[in-house]
Amino acid sequence: MRSPRVPRPPTRGFSLDNGLRVLLAPDGRSPTASVWVWYRVGSRNEHPGITGASHWVEHMLFEGSPRYAKGEIDRAVVRVGGELNAFTDADFTAYFSTVPREHLGVPLDIESDRMTRALITDEEVARERTVIFSEREGNENWPEFRVEEELYQLAFREHPYRWDPLGRREDIERMSAEQLREYYRRFYGTRNALLVVAGGFDPGAVASEVRRRFGPLPEGGEDVTVRVTEPPARGERRAELSGPGTTPYLQLGFHAPALGDPETPATIVLDAILGGETRLFSAGSGWGRSAEHPSSRLYQALVDRGLAVRATSDWRPRSYPGLFTVQAQAAAGVSLDRLEGAIVRLLDRFAREGPRPAEMEEARTKVRRAAVLAYEGASRTGFRLGFFSTLRSPRFEDEIFASILRVTGREVRTRARELFRPETRVVVRYRPTGEANGG
Amino acid sequence: MAEANDPLRIEYLPPVDGLAVVRQATPAGSGSFSATYVGPAGWGFDERGAEGAARLVNQLVTSAAGPYDRVALARRLDRAGATLSRQCAPESSEVTVWGPADAWEKLLELLALVVQRPRFDPEDVGRARRQMVERQLREAAQPAQRAELELLRGIFPPGHPYRGTGLGSARSLAKLSRESLVRFHRDHYTSGGGLLVVTAPARGEAVRRAARRCFRSFEGPRGPTLQLARGRGTRGGVRTFDLRGRSQVELRLGGPSIARRDPVFPAAFLANEILGGRPLLSRLFQRVRERGGLAYHASSDLEAMRFGGYWLAQAGTGADRWKRVVAMLDSELRRIREVSPTSQEVDLVRESAIGEIPLSLETTAEAHELAVDAAYHELPEDHWRTWPSTLRSVRPAAVRDAAREALGATGMVTVVVGPLGAA
Repeated sequence: MRSPRVPRPPTRGFSLDNGLRVLLAPDGRSPTASVWVWYRVGSRNEHPGITGASHWVEHMLFEGSPRYAKGEIDRAVVRVGGELNAFTDADFTAYFSTVPREHLGVPLDIESDRMTRALITDEEVARERTVIFSEREGNENWPEFRVEEELYQLAFREHPYRWDPLGRREDIERMSAEQLREYYRRFYGTRNALLVVAGGFDPGAVASEVRRRFGPLPEGGEDVTVRVTEPPARGERRAELSGPGTTPYLQLGFHAPALGDPETPATIVLDAILGGETRLFSAGSGWGRSAEHPSSRLYQALVDRGLAVRATSDWRPRSYPGLFTVQAQAAAGVSLDRLEGAIVRLLDRFAREGPRPAEMEEARTKVRRAAVLAYEGASRTGFRLGFFSTLRSPRFEDEIFASILRVTGREVRTRARELFRPETRVVVRYRPTGEANGG
Repeated sequence: MAEANDPLRIEYLPPVDGLAVVRQATPAGSGSFSATYVGPAGWGFDERGAEGAARLVNQLVTSAAGPYDRVALARRLDRAGATLSRQCAPESSEVTVWGPADAWEKLLELLALVVQRPRFDPEDVGRARRQMVERQLREAAQPAQRAELELLRGIFPPGHPYRGTGLGSARSLAKLSRESLVRFHRDHYTSGGGLLVVTAPARGEAVRRAARRCFRSFEGPRGPTLQLARGRGTRGGVRTFDLRGRSQVELRLGGPSIARRDPVFPAAFLANEILGGRPLLSRLFQRVRERGGLAYHASSDLEAMRFGGYWLAQAGTGADRWKRVVAMLDSELRRIREVSPTSQEVDLVRESAIGEIPLSLETTAEAHELAVDAAYHELPEDHWRTWPSTLRSVRPAAVRDAAREALGATGMVTVVVGPLGAA
């Protein structure tokens, strides 16, 4: 029997002599075209002293290159009605522009210019430092950010997943323009990039255009394997933070497999059953996790019983082993001890008993149905193709999709037993201090 | 026939028992469907002392309905690969279903069910109430949300529907019984005054037939109309709120503004885009972030609703910089009101706004937002088709004049929320 596949537009892939990999996904009906450049560099490539460098370089790639003075990249795309942005993760940095299809040449020209020739001047780095601080401070206003940052710092003692892609405050204060230029020269370039073009265009013409613009670029860019392996945890790790907030909040973390590991499909099903959805395949808006899932285990055990107002789980797809987390915001009047106790009991019971057959069927249905419309629109197509190709391979999405649908209840129970061991648990609790709210 | 397949046009169909029905074609190549019910059920209709009712009802409508308790409803949606979402605003509440286009009639039935026959199970009411209490606490404690609330309190007088964010208080929530929520639903989720917008791969007649079948038992009086209180907000000038322990100060400057159907709206739209509405190109972004390096975000919004509106300029910045940023926001506001922008600047922003229309046709969900917007404001069927020519007819001097009216200094309030003691 043929394996199930994710419905997606046909793609054409090729590589240039300088090592740049290219994926084209034409859809003649699309009124837009979306250009994505994915670099295999993220906070995993940093070390103490330069944490946040990937994210800062991402900002600097909007601040000028030979053909585009500061501000002109934004202007060139937005003036034709396009939108552009970028984001930095632990494993990658991605840049995208979506434009009306007749303006596809604009983002292609920008990306070819800044792939190897971003200016990153001392003056602009100095100015951007306060912007980066401001971005970080905006995040710090949310207890959820502070808890998650602490959780990863506790869970990882060696591996660079220890710090957030925004970087540590002291490193943002001290990092120099030359350090950023060096980082850019090392990691940015044709060998470490993937160009994805999706939407309304003629593939033959765009392939020629890509060769013309990107072909002359010098070969460069290093894809560095992270050699550091995280030593096994020996004993629970926990921390308690306090500060302004609403009600007590906590996150539990458990060491979890990487995207390509054989245990991952069962981990994804576990996530779908406990939290109600999975990042790789969720109906509606795409990658986010905002919806409530009343049929999920955590929701029923915590929210329905009045212990929490929100509760979910989250496994993030990563190149290297990361974390499976459980998060809950207490209902007013519920203590952290009571909330944590309820979560631990739920996880213990799940590890003992495993999922019910109906839960397995629901999880499969969710994944199968969510995949149907996963590729709607040029922007989402560019994102998905680039994501799977950067972290694994273009075919990997189909492989993991089929694997998820084959997972058994027994495998999910085994996974839960391996995952939810108290000796590898990490817990970060947030206690609101009842600071004056300035009223 | 080409017009019938044009997702930039909407089609007003004959009402079904007082329910206005609007149809839009799905964008080419899209495999999904969206439909939205909009009812006169915003928090502006909350009775005094019973604030929070509109938001609670809006949440509960999407929780459980007819034969489906909340778990069964969630499973029903999962089986269809569909989602239900909701939105509550001062004037109205919305419920939207999204899912595969080939199941559009079944999904429309589901939308009709949740809108007409929510269950208000007691345990659901209790859960929604607990969630709302936490959101109230968050609104008081989180600088960005608190700043927005205080701005609205500053601009609008007590009793005005735009004055708050609809969350109510612990006391008002405690007073809301299940019966009062059922009553709010009965009076506000009505056919009269309600609107159904359907973006589907179907002709108008098929959409109307389906709407009639799904909403045939949807009765109720003509929906109520909002009463706008007159007067000024709590206090003008600068209002500061020292929230210690936070990292960033949130700034909001704002004032009352025009309604969406005001003739000056197209010019006011461009004025706001030039000031801070157009991402990356706007004056606020350029001056505060790109040239000043003072903040990660700086922008403006024009909230033009059916009966009126408000504008705001905003930024988040460090405790040691907020006074400089307020001065920058203030000076850019004065400039947009006092000096006509150059024709080049107007052209740049205008062509950007026109050029982005195709981006709204990437997915059905995005195209659907255009249709709901046009239909709610009872704009012409070809509104989005003619929008480019409308914008191109606006002259720079008209942009300045519109800014005086729609981004005006009268009644302007400045709100500063965050760790002010750290400055």
